[in-house]
Amino acid sequence: MTGFDQVVNGFAIALSWQGLLSCFIGCLWGTIVGVLPGLGPLAGMTLLLPLTFHQPPEIGIIMLTGIFYGAMYGGSTTSILVRIPGEAASVVTCIDGYEMARRGRAGPALMVAAVGSFVGGTVSIVGLMLITPPLAKVMIAIGPSVQVVLLLLALSVIAVVSAGSRLKTTIMMVLGLLLTAIGLDHLDGVPRLTFGNTTLAGGLSFTSLAIGLFGVSEILINLEKTELIKAIQPKFRDLIPRMKDVRDAAPAIGRASVIGFIFGIIPGVSHVVSTFVSYAVEKRFSRHPEEFGHGAIAGVAGPETANNAVTGTAMIPLLALGIPSIPATALLLSALTIHGVQPGPLLLTDHPEVFWSLVASMYIGNVILLILNLPLVGIFVNLLRIPYSWLVPIILIVSVIGVYSVAFSAADIWLMVISGGAGYVLRKFGYEMAPLLLAFVLGDRLEENLRLALTMSGGSYATFADHASLIVLTSVLGLLLVVQALAWVFGYRKSVADEAEGA
Amino acid sequence: MNGDADNPAPAGGDAVQVLFRAIGVRHGEIWIAAVLAAAGLVFGWQASLLDFGTVALPGPGFIPLVLSLATIALGGIVGVREWLRADSGETVELGHRDVLIVFAAMLAVPLLFEPLGAYITLGLFGAVLLVLVARSSLVIAVLSAVVAMAACWYFFQVALGLQLPVGDVLERIVR
Repeated sequence: MTGFDQVVNGFAIALSWQGLLSCFIGCLWGTIVGVLPGLGPLAGMTLLLPLTFHQPPEIGIIMLTGIFYGAMYGGSTTSILVRIPGEAASVVTCIDGYEMARRGRAGPALMVAAVGSFVGGTVSIVGLMLITPPLAKVMIAIGPSVQVVLLLLALSVIAVVSAGSRLKTTIMMVLGLLLTAIGLDHLDGVPRLTFGNTTLAGGLSFTSLAIGLFGVSEILINLEKTELIKAIQPKFRDLIPRMKDVRDAAPAIGRASVIGFIFGIIPGVSHVVSTFVSYAVEKRFSRHPEEFGHGAIAGVAGPETANNAVTGTAMIPLLALGIPSIPATALLLSALTIHGVQPGPLLLTDHPEVFWSLVASMYIGNVILLILNLPLVGIFVNLLRIPYSWLVPIILIVSVIGVYSVAFSAADIWLMVISGGAGYVLRKFGYEMAPLLLAFVLGDRLEENLRLALTMSGGSYATFADHASLIVLTSVLGLLLVVQALAWVFGYRKSVADEAEGA
Repeated sequence: MNGDADNPAPAGGDAVQVLFRAIGVRHGEIWIAAVLAAAGLVFGWQASLLDFGTVALPGPGFIPLVLSLATIALGGIVGVREWLRADSGETVELGHRDVLIVFAAMLAVPLLFEPLGAYITLGLFGAVLLVLVARSSLVIAVLSAVVAMAACWYFFQVALGLQLPVGDVLERIVR
């Protein structure tokens, strides 16, 4: 099958009724979890994970990816209308989005957020489509030593760009690596850290850990908050922006698409960081920076475009290298593995239909989301009227069934509950869960490749400093330095973060 | 420490009676450090039973042992740092009534899931949470739980073909 045939085949799968239905369900559920505070894309994806088990891998992945980018769309709605971010990447949108809504301009804010999300999403899909195949081709040639360098770099970057304490991030990563060692050793087949328990021989379930650490802990934390929500109800006819709005928003959308695109490749909290950087960039470029914080439309357009531009590029490290850069793509990796598809350089050779149908579905999904998010915004806002205490049992029941259905083991429910409790306490003390989860996903491969590389080189650590490794190391470090410099120049850590906190 | 960017506030909810207990951040961190160090020790002991190999050619016990030692060391760093730090008076509130109820109910789920069956366990779980957390009446809670379990059965068992455990009790009734 030629490259063109593969693209056509991908679109045929995405446009089939199963593909369209799966994409629609994913986008709709993604928007709902994005709108509902306390439920992020990861929780949304884990909850629907069991639905994909009985589907072909390409259809299941279309649905899960739809939830991921749908949540980014939905998150803006509550930020603008309620001043509560539906998920972390929408925090910055609260600043000017809610101010606009308070001044009777919720419609244009929602419209610009939706159009910006559409443009950012589309730009990133083009990037995904153009960059992944050549990158995968290069990566096929790399050996285990380069893989080790890449994986160590990914973990180091997570530690460096993490918003919280570096020490706590390192602790969580070491814990993640330690937990992934539980189970059978991949090279020798020896059971490790199992305490003689055969249930642990298969290792800890990623799904249980992810739902526990993110879903359950988030529910427990949110149960403590008792604010009553008053949402501003926009009218459909008010959605049309003025010419001045278009003039202000258009360049912001263009710049933010590039920012989100670049940040998407960086592991860690790229989708959140990109919104802060984009906001700072817009404020710096604006002729009226004093309007920021008081309802500047560029302050909505920029961050909302950036967080959606991340979604496509965040898939590049996953699909080309098999390295997830954020927890949501870690879950996609896990879902693909459950379906017997290994993301990485060989994905395009072994399962081109999965890659191309995913790309095609993202184009379609962006259109679905644009249609869903504008006319139906009133319905989504009404979801906020459902008391949180009624949602909790529903979410937890579906989580339990989801976790159990992966391996039909009650031990996985235990893991979910225990990791949920531990996650709750750790989060209260400022420990982030994402580094643990990403390290848990990468740990297996890191150890396997490390030991393979050393065996192949006869035990020489010089293998990690060979020509290919050094090229990879320098290029990635160069890219990271540029991105860090950008973030530093535009003062992500200080001014904008403070401003968002005050929002 | 509460209400960070990753934890947006929930949708709605009535004012509830809370039983918060303020724990000093310093004390909490020392406890976390102690648990980390203990976990590192236990995992390290398990790893020491495996073949370590050599530094040049690591065996299956090498990485787990190194990681266990790292966990102990990091726990030690946090513990010592907090021990030496002057108490800032900063606290973290734990022990919210609803959180405790939900967590206790969740602990019961894996215990009962296979013996009682998925539908009875989850139905009971839902009803308990509706009564104690959502403060609905017992009748509404039971009715909602029955409807929810019927929906779950149809969706997961009939539509998706997912075989959830029915439990001894339900199995006897069916027989």
